Amino acid sequence: MKPLYDLINRDLKIAFFTSSNFLFTASFFILIVVLIPFIFGSDSEQLRIIFKGIIWISISLSILLTLERIFYSDYEDGSLDLILQRYESLEIIICAKYIAHWVINCLPLIVILPFLSLLFQLTFSDIFPILINLVIGSMGMVFVATFVSALTLGAKRTIFLKGIILIPLLVPFIIFGVDPHSWPILIALSMMSFVISIYASAYGLRLYGE
Amino acid sequence: MKKLSINELKCFRGENLVLNRISAEIKEGETFVIKGSNGSGKTTLLRVLSSLIKNYSGTIMYEDRDIKEDYKFYQKFNFIGQKNALKENLSVSKNFKLWEIIYGKKTDVNLLLQKYNLNTLIDKDISSLSDGQKKCISLLKLKLCSVPIWYLDEPFVFLDSENRSILTDEIKSHNHRGGIALITTNTELDYKSDGEITL
Amino acid sequence: MYLKLKKSYFDVLDRFTPFLIIMTIVSFIIGSYFALYGSPPDYIQGDSMRIMYVHVPSAWWALMSYSVLAVSCTIWFITRNPFFNLIAKSIAPIGAVFTLIALVTGSIWGKPTWGVWWVWDARLTSMLLLFFLYLAYIFLWQAISNKDLASKISAALAMIGFINVPIIKFSVDWWNTLHQPASISKLSSPSIDESMLIPLFIMAFASLCFLITMFSVRLRIEFIESRISRLRQKIYD
Repeated sequence: MKPLYDLINRDLKIAFFTSSNFLFTASFFILIVVLIPFIFGSDSEQLRIIFKGIIWISISLSILLTLERIFYSDYEDGSLDLILQRYESLEIIICAKYIAHWVINCLPLIVILPFLSLLFQLTFSDIFPILINLVIGSMGMVFVATFVSALTLGAKRTIFLKGIILIPLLVPFIIFGVDPHSWPILIALSMMSFVISIYASAYGLRLYGE
Repeated sequence: MKKLSINELKCFRGENLVLNRISAEIKEGETFVIKGSNGSGKTTLLRVLSSLIKNYSGTIMYEDRDIKEDYKFYQKFNFIGQKNALKENLSVSKNFKLWEIIYGKKTDVNLLLQKYNLNTLIDKDISSLSDGQKKCISLLKLKLCSVPIWYLDEPFVFLDSENRSILTDEIKSHNHRGGIALITTNTELDYKSDGEITL
Repeated sequence: MYLKLKKSYFDVLDRFTPFLIIMTIVSFIIGSYFALYGSPPDYIQGDSMRIMYVHVPSAWWALMSYSVLAVSCTIWFITRNPFFNLIAKSIAPIGAVFTLIALVTGSIWGKPTWGVWWVWDARLTSMLLLFFLYLAYIFLWQAISNKDLASKISAALAMIGFINVPIIKFSVDWWNTLHQPASISKLSSPSIDESMLIPLFIMAFASLCFLITMFSVRLRIEFIESRISRLRQKIYD
C-alpha cells in the first residue's frame, strides 16, 4: 500500500504546487455554469433542465482538457521513466493515477454541485440522484481517459486526436448518466471499463517503457 | 563478488536488430563506457539493463541472479536518462520533494545543493535555469539513494569543465565504494575507464 | 509465427482486380435499373425512398468493415502476422467512406421523409459515432511516427472500439426510446416489400464488389509501401 499512497501523494503534491489544483477545476465548473443564463435566458424552469445537462458537458470537458496530465506530462519530462524504474507494479502506478486524477479533477465538481444547484432553485432531493450518477460515471470516465492517455503517449501532441478517440468512448457514460434511474447500468459500465482500462493502460505503459 | 554480467544480449526495435550479441562483464568498482554512433542503441542498452525494456533475449546477471527474477533489482540501480524528470513550472526545492517521494528517502536539499555550489538556485523555477544547470540538478538524483549500479545516459552533455570534474570525482568515489558505473558518451572521458562496450 | 509477406499473394490480387471492376460496373448497372425503374415507388414516401438502395447497403458494409478491421486487429495481436495488420490498415478508410455515404444519404433521405436534414435517430447517431471510431483509427496511424508502435496502439484501440460498438448501439437505443416519439423509429425500419428486396440485394452486391475492389487496390498499395519502408531501412542500416 505504501507505493500506492506515495504515488497518489506525489500527484496531489503536483496539483497543489501548480495551478492545476482543486480550486482550478471547481472554478472552471462555476464559470461554465455561470454562462448558462446568459445563453439561454433567465427562465428558471428551462434553466433547471439545462443545468442537469451542463453538469455532464463540463465533466467531460474537464476530463478531456486534463487528459494530458494523466501520463503525458510525466512522460514528456522523463518522470515516467523514473517512476517505471522505481516501482515494480504497473497496476499500482495505474490505480494511483485513477485515484489522484479523480480526486483532483472530478471530486471538486461533485463537492460544489449541491451549492451550485441552489442557484437554479434545485433542492437536494432533486440533485441527489444526479450526484450518485456523477460519482459513478466520473469514475468510469477517468478509467477510460487513463487508458486513452496511456495508449496515445507516443502520438504527436494533439488534443484533437485524443478527443476523437475519447469522446465516442464517453458517450455511453453520458447517456446513462443523464438518466437518474440507470445507475445500475452505470456501475456495470464503470466496472467493465475498469477491467479493460487496467489491461490497456498497462499495455500502453509497457510499450512506452520500451 | 558483485558483478554485472551481460551475455549474448539481443534486442529488436520493431523489425530491426538494435543490440546484436552484446556481452560484457563489469566487476565491482569498475566504470564502463558505452560507445557508438548516434542511433546505435546506447540508450536502448541502458533501458534494457534497467529492465525498462523487458523484451530481449540473452541474459543479464547481477550478483549471480538473473535480473528478470530478482524482484528487488529495481532498488539496486539508478538510471539517469537524458530527460531530466524535472517539472518546468515548479521550483528546484519542490522538484526535490517530488523526487524524495519516488525514492522514498528524505534528504536535506539545502545541504546537498550547498555541497555543489547550487544553493542559489533553490527557489528558482526550473524554466528559468540553463540547460547545464538543469543537468546538474538532474544528476543530483544520484545522491538521493545509495545504490550499487549507476547508469548514466550522456551525463557530460551541457556540463562546463568544472562540473565535469566534479562528476568525474563522484564517479571515481562511487567506484571506490565498490559501485559500478555505466556511462554512454560521445566525447572522451577525462580519465581511463575500465572497459568499453562498442555498439 | 512471423510469416513473411510474399509478393505472389498480391500478384493474385492484381490479377483479380480487372474482374472485380467489371463485376462492380455490371452489377451497378443492373442494380440501378431495378432500383430506379424496375421497382415500384413506395406508397407513402414515393420516389424519395429509392435512396434506400444506396443508404442501406453502405450502412451494412460500413458495419461489416469495422468488424473486419477489429477481427483482423485481434488476429494480428495474437499471431503478429503483418498481413492482418495490412488488412486492417487498408480497410479503415474504405469503411470510413462507406459510413460517410450512409450518413449523407441518410440525411438526404431524411429531408423528404421527416422534413429535416437530420434527426437524432438511434441508427444515424450510432453511425456517426462509428464514423468517429474510424477517424480515430486512421488519425492514430498518422500521429505516431514509429510504425511498429502505431500498429500496436491502433490495434489495441480498434479492439476496444469493437467492444464499444455494441455498447454504443445499446446506449443510443436506450437514449432514443427515452427522448424520441415512437413514430420516427417506425419510419426508419419499414417492412420491406419483396419487389424492393431484390434491387436492394443487387445494389448490396454491387457495393460489396466495389468495396472489395477498393480494398484489394489499397491492400496492394499498403503492401508496396511497407516494402519500400523496409528496403529503405535496409539501405540506412
